[in-house]
Amino acid sequence: MTRFRALTAGAAALAVLTALTACGTTGGTGGSTAAADQDISVDVSTDLSGKRICFGFSGSETEFWAAGIKSISDSLSAANATVIEHNSNEDPNRQLEQVRDCITQGVDGIIVIPEDGSSANTIIKEANDADIPIGIFNRPPATEDGAAIISVADNRDVAAQTVQYLADEATKLGRPVQPLIMVGNLSDQNAVERRNGFYEIVDANPDLFLTPIEVQTNWDAATGQANLQAAMQANPNVDVLFTSSDFLFPQIQAVLEPLGKWKAVGEEGHVIMGGLDGDNRACGLIETGYVDATGVQDLFSEASALLDALGTAIQDGDSKPDQTIVDPGFALTAANFGDRSEDMWGCVITPPAS
Amino acid sequence: MSTTTPAATASTTPPSTDPAPPSRRRALLRRLFAGEGFVALLIVVYVIALSPFAQGMLSERNLLNVLSNFWPLAIIVIGQTFVLVLAGIDLAQTAIINLTNTVGALLVARMLEPTLFQGSVLWNSVIGPEGGPLGGGWPGIVLAVLIVVAIGALLGSLNGLAIARLKMPPFMVTLGTMLLFSAVAVWLTRSENVTGLPEEYIAIGQAQVWGALTVPAIIAVVLGLAAHYILSRTPFGGWLYAAGTSRQAAIISGVPYKRVVVTAYALSGVFATVGGLLYSARLEAGRPTLADDLLLDVIGAAVIGGVSLFGGKGSVVGAALGALFFVVLSNSLNLLNLPFTLVFIVKGLVIVAAALLDVVRTRILGATR
Repeated sequence: MTRFRALTAGAAALAVLTALTACGTTGGTGGSTAAADQDISVDVSTDLSGKRICFGFSGSETEFWAAGIKSISDSLSAANATVIEHNSNEDPNRQLEQVRDCITQGVDGIIVIPEDGSSANTIIKEANDADIPIGIFNRPPATEDGAAIISVADNRDVAAQTVQYLADEATKLGRPVQPLIMVGNLSDQNAVERRNGFYEIVDANPDLFLTPIEVQTNWDAATGQANLQAAMQANPNVDVLFTSSDFLFPQIQAVLEPLGKWKAVGEEGHVIMGGLDGDNRACGLIETGYVDATGVQDLFSEASALLDALGTAIQDGDSKPDQTIVDPGFALTAANFGDRSEDMWGCVITPPAS
Repeated sequence: MSTTTPAATASTTPPSTDPAPPSRRRALLRRLFAGEGFVALLIVVYVIALSPFAQGMLSERNLLNVLSNFWPLAIIVIGQTFVLVLAGIDLAQTAIINLTNTVGALLVARMLEPTLFQGSVLWNSVIGPEGGPLGGGWPGIVLAVLIVVAIGALLGSLNGLAIARLKMPPFMVTLGTMLLFSAVAVWLTRSENVTGLPEEYIAIGQAQVWGALTVPAIIAVVLGLAAHYILSRTPFGGWLYAAGTSRQAAIISGVPYKRVVVTAYALSGVFATVGGLLYSARLEAGRPTLADDLLLDVIGAAVIGGVSLFGGKGSVVGAALGALFFVVLSNSLNLLNLPFTLVFIVKGLVIVAAALLDVVRTRILGATR
């Protein structure tokens, strides 16, 4: 009898599995955990009625990615496209399989936020071989191999603008300062360029900056916090801190606060701080004076340009569009906050759940 | 087949008063659940049931996709079978993949960006801006593959030695080395992916010989046949099943238990390494985190394929079919365009169902292979 109860339980488990599978055949929804009540779509110049677009992303762990995913998804739906979303959960092998499965379904276009630059190249090759136009959002491929529409911020220049503001503030101290940079995952070209932008300003001011301290984060909050903690332990005299991504500010606060270094501008012990992305958290911290500046990626402009170019390629039957769209970005600082905060996406939208 | 069986005669009377003899019922259940037939049937039924909903599931392109995803996973699952049959488990397979695919890529890379790799302990000794020492053609590639396979065997042997010699529980040993080996992979590369691999190396994971016959297919079939021969035709295979069924009885019977354990874990390491190389080559990069999410697929596929978590049961064909089921499942969920969370729910349920099935099988079949 026990055996048959076990058998029945096994069959029931499989039945639930099958039912769940069958119930889910609605297609094209879910995946993003973004807030559902705020429309953050951008205009797409092409009507994509009857077109099916595969949208693969690697995760939505930061506000920038969550907002970007929601904006692209909302915009495609607003242009009447059917969106097939796939979240690879930061697994490049799974992302490759998902894109291949999209190609099997004969989609009209592909948009990917790749895990990193090298996997972007592999995916572009798959799309090119299948004659399906592909767009890469914000994370550029490692090499120029293959044809794709790439929409990306000028990370180096945006970082340089931001660090220049930090340098200007540091100059007011009238002494050499100790800079620290929290470096992203350097297999991501964005992280490399942000680091380059930081050093561009540091190298240009040899009398102002001491040798920078590098803290590896690999775009991971826990890693970033642990490494920053160790770095601050060894170098408590950090004056200027630049994080390659705004999403790490809570971890920075968690490290600086116990050391008595989480102070607003004008208070004794304030660390001059800057970031990059332009998210809601950075907006609030600049407004309250804890952060001095952040480099802003124009999320909506990047999404709009990418979708326009992809829509045009689909309409024209161009299966291998090859184009790079550069978002110049800008630095939102404590000085220009009043004038430009409305231009930063993080200051105008409710942060989607990330 | 005779139609005048005792069961046929018994069918004229109410089942409640004249049930089939226990031995006959057991034989029927045994036939249903034992071995590979059940998994094969499960795959066929699943594909038939899902194909009307999953667009393109039976298309030629999709079949090629499924096969491309299947070969590396099958190799890794077959490697896991050696230790599961022994009533062990190898959680460190994924970490061995992470380490060996990274080392392989470092050895054959044609150039390495100093900004990314000059902090590596191997910089200016094994690797440099011009890449690794073995990227200059087929002889170098073959040597690099042999080196990483040897590393895989060595890492697996270390697990086996700890389990056999120190009598440590396999779960704890491989859990610990999973963290250790993965950390070494990250340490060697400072968490960077290794790109710039030579075409010859990439061909190992991608090259098409004829139609669906690819280099990964050939490698997987050769390794699968070898594993099948080892498990079913050699004394070592017999020792594995004996030790997995009852360790004490096997030792008393003269099975060289410690040697068997070390060899099984070494084989698991070798198969994991080869599977990882195929994944790495098709992604055209060495990745220190390549297999971080792979463990549940491997264990789940093995158990679905009839390889028991309690040891003493399992076959190469079953393991391969279990891997095929997992790949087909994953593929179909993608084709159904299910939300990410639901895909994980379904996969989780399948793994739970597989574990349940293992319990049922063990109760029904006892220690039968």
